[in-house]
Amino acid sequence: MTIASEVKQCVASLKGVEAGLSSLALRTQDDESKRILHETMMVVNEVMKDVHKRVGELEREEPQYKGF
Amino acid sequence: MPEWLQIVLRSLFFLIVLFLITKWLGKKQISQLSFFEYVTGITIGNVGAELATKVEGSIINGVLSILVFALAPFIAGLVSLKSKTIRDLVEGKASVFIKDGKVMEDNLKKEKYTTDELLGLLRKKDVFDVADVEFGLLEANGDFSVMLKKQNQPLTAKDLNLAVASVKEAQTVIMDGEILDEPLSTIGLNRNWLKTELDKLGVTIENVFLGQANSNGELNVDLFDDKIKVPSPQEKPLMLATLKKCQADLELFALGTESKEAKEMYSKNSEKLQKAIDHVAFILKN
Repeated sequence: MTIASEVKQCVASLKGVEAGLSSLALRTQDDESKRILHETMMVVNEVMKDVHKRVGELEREEPQYKGF
Repeated sequence: MPEWLQIVLRSLFFLIVLFLITKWLGKKQISQLSFFEYVTGITIGNVGAELATKVEGSIINGVLSILVFALAPFIAGLVSLKSKTIRDLVEGKASVFIKDGKVMEDNLKKEKYTTDELLGLLRKKDVFDVADVEFGLLEANGDFSVMLKKQNQPLTAKDLNLAVASVKEAQTVIMDGEILDEPLSTIGLNRNWLKTELDKLGVTIENVFLGQANSNGELNVDLFDDKIKVPSPQEKPLMLATLKKCQADLELFALGTESKEAKEMYSKNSEKLQKAIDHVAFILKN
């Protein structure tokens, strides 16, 4: 596996966690838990965006592994 | 009318009268007998039984007597709601048996409790050593309440300064294979959600004996067929594990990359993620 694909995998995992947190926040009845889950979701989203940017850079460096 | 028929009819009549009267007096009459309710309860029962079997007795007189005896605790209850003095008089007062870890012998004598009985009361509360008790009192209704010394009390999350996710009561959404719509909507879910969750578990609704949804929107089921093993909800621990994995990956990338900019970005984000994990871990842990 190349670095680019590993980073891509990480982005995908982060996206999955973000969606999971979001759905959990919606389903949870307790307001405090809801708030914390939502905050965590926002943080994960920021991290995901940053790493996603890096994917673009890597693809420029290793064009043979371009995908998605 | 033959005598036996009269007795049958009278019995049925007084059964209904007694049933209605206890219903009217409410749950308190059954659950916790104060002095007053104890006395009136016995009398009402006696009057009812007496009139059911005695053919020559007048039914109206009997019902009147029962009404008077039922009215008394009703009025006493109303008045004692308003006044503390009357409440103490009617319902009695609690008496302290153990205070600051010492047995109050005078109060024990006043309530006519022997030492053996006190020890028995304590044992009912799972206390075998009087030295473990900080405070104990005999309630007005005869129950015994015990507060243990702090070091003998069970450990709580508060004692450990532990953050715990709060939980609300679970709702029973499936009973004997039937979907209960009202609890389902109380917890903000619908039949579609239930269907999806059951599909995820791979069970049919007919096979579910009992299904409960908790406040995190997780479904726990018990099946009629006990040979099938149902997985417990794994969504949250899985999410926590994925989060941790992503954080570790970012750290790895930070070490691996040669670009200074990327290194900085990776380590910043890995720290950010670590903080978020610490923050949310207590909710995601089962």
